[in-house]
Amino acid sequence: MAIGTAKIRVPRNIKKGKPFKLQFIIIHPMEPGTRKDKKTGKLIPAHHITKLDITFNGKKVTHMDVGGAVSANPYFAVMMKADEPGTIEISYEDNKGGKWKKSVKVNVS
Amino acid sequence: MMNRRDMIKLMGAGMVMATTSPLVTISHASEVEKKFKKYVGVPMSKVEDGSSVIKLKAPSIAETGANVPVAIDSKVPVEEVDWLMIFVDNNPVPRVIKVDLTPMNGKVYFATRIKMAKTSNVRAIIKKKDGTYLQAFKEVKVTIGGCG
Repeated sequence: MAIGTAKIRVPRNIKKGKPFKLQFIIIHPMEPGTRKDKKTGKLIPAHHITKLDITFNGKKVTHMDVGGAVSANPYFAVMMKADEPGTIEISYEDNKGGKWKKSVKVNVS
Repeated sequence: MMNRRDMIKLMGAGMVMATTSPLVTISHASEVEKKFKKYVGVPMSKVEDGSSVIKLKAPSIAETGANVPVAIDSKVPVEEVDWLMIFVDNNPVPRVIKVDLTPMNGKVYFATRIKMAKTSNVRAIIKKKDGTYLQAFKEVKVTIGGCG
């Protein structure tokens, strides 16, 4: 899969106002910039996600400052709650100017 | 098969390690405090022990430092929390991730997978809105590399 692709997982039944777990994985090499290429001895340039925002219906839920020490193809999980049906959007960018977003609709009962 | 010569070499190496390690731990502690001040913004002495309210889940032994699962779960109400951070003492960049939480989160919880250079303390630091800091930590042994 291409760099920047994300997969989001949310529970099927979300109760109004009750926190649920939002989990997602992003395909990204997460090169920290401190590792050396074993053949050439040169530093491998950094290439990792730096910022990540989670919004629900346009309202800010969580912001993350991501460092290079998060594993490759990072997995994140946070709790969040919803009072109405809507869209969770995750937007993220890396230090080489890549910008992506991914959204998922949730039903709230 | 180990012969006498190899044995002596090994013993020598062991003795060197035994004699130097106390010195290493002393300078290491202040090094961590310096890094802590730089990346968290406050001296470590300002951070209160929050091990009773923060649950930090991480393996005691990680076979590879490339993929260590860490989960933070806290009883502190999310309304009182400004951010939480994962901090690894012995990483080249110890500040792994900082997460700003809002009341929309409903609960203080965060999980991810991190990279670790070597055996180290993994810390979960919470900054509360009233300006106080809480932390919980756990040592994770990383089995890659020799004298871990």
